[in-house]
Amino acid sequence: MFAHASEAEMSRILEFYGVAWRYEPTTFPILWNLDGDVVESFSPDFYLPEFDLYLEMTTLKQSLVRKKNRKLRRLRELYPDIRIKLFYARDFRAMMLKYGRLGLAQSLSGTLGQLGPADRVAVDPETSGGGGTNLATAASATTGQEAAVPSRRRQRSAARAERRDGGVPA
Amino acid sequence: MTTMTDLRSYIGEVLLTEDQIQSRVEELGAQISADYEGRALTLVSVLKGSLPFMADLMRAISRPLRIDLMEVSSYGGATTESSGLVRILKDLSSTIEGEDVLIVEDIIDTGLTLNYLVRYLRGKKPASLRICTLLDKPARRLVEIDVDYTGFTIPDQFVVGYGLDYGELYRNLRFVGVLRPEVYSTAE
Repeated sequence: MFAHASEAEMSRILEFYGVAWRYEPTTFPILWNLDGDVVESFSPDFYLPEFDLYLEMTTLKQSLVRKKNRKLRRLRELYPDIRIKLFYARDFRAMMLKYGRLGLAQSLSGTLGQLGPADRVAVDPETSGGGGTNLATAASATTGQEAAVPSRRRQRSAARAERRDGGVPA
Repeated sequence: MTTMTDLRSYIGEVLLTEDQIQSRVEELGAQISADYEGRALTLVSVLKGSLPFMADLMRAISRPLRIDLMEVSSYGGATTESSGLVRILKDLSSTIEGEDVLIVEDIIDTGLTLNYLVRYLRGKKPASLRICTLLDKPARRLVEIDVDYTGFTIPDQFVVGYGLDYGELYRNLRFVGVLRPEVYSTAE
């Protein structure tokens, strides 16, 4: 399930060019409390096995980008062998411009691009050339739904809380 | 009707002049000529953007060579919607098995198209496969590609001219220029 329409669009682009991908396959703990429990983690959006590269989409507003940059720096400190590329809003916009979809970039960026439960795109990582397969066409109708959708940050906070409580990790 | 004067007025900055391009193409031609001495070289140009570069580069190479052309669909294009996968719009005319092949590209940014092409062409069993690009925009790179010959490494700007287009225009400019952002901002 993609949390953001820009991620769904990226998956289609990768699929188009035959690049195998996995969606959030790995969660890296980046902060622990004194008891050794993980209190913060980072799950890059995509992993491209052919290139041993993680890809993180950041099409959100600048304040959230700063937070993500901080997490990325922490990830790189703790896991120096991990290859990860941060894909900013401007990168996404440039990519959409290249593909003649600049208008689409606006609706897929920032909070407007967050997908609601009904629009989520399912991923079957076992099919289609090693990559995921989008089972719905959600990206075209994704605006104005941020209020109904728990943010990924909140989802992960809930997941962390669940882990602290002994629940099954998300 | 849009005139050439109109098109030039939409260019914010000339990034590479005609002289700079021609001079660098000559250098690349000389380097490729030396590297492929005594070998059977085939240049494979990727339509449509690399056409001017191909035309100039092939004449700057002082070795016997063959040329071939390919065209692949781009993401977002009208021909791509049904399949969701790259389509070969124009395949090679001749076999490249056992040949030394040099892909001639206009620009490499994400590397996605080139990565696809390299895999496709490797499947045709050339003796060697190398890449020559006029422009490299590493800031946009998504997948790593080993580039053997690079004309210019350019900043992260939307460029047109010398084969590069916006909306199929600007390809016939003799220079490479940066398109004014208002051109594509207002077009959407």
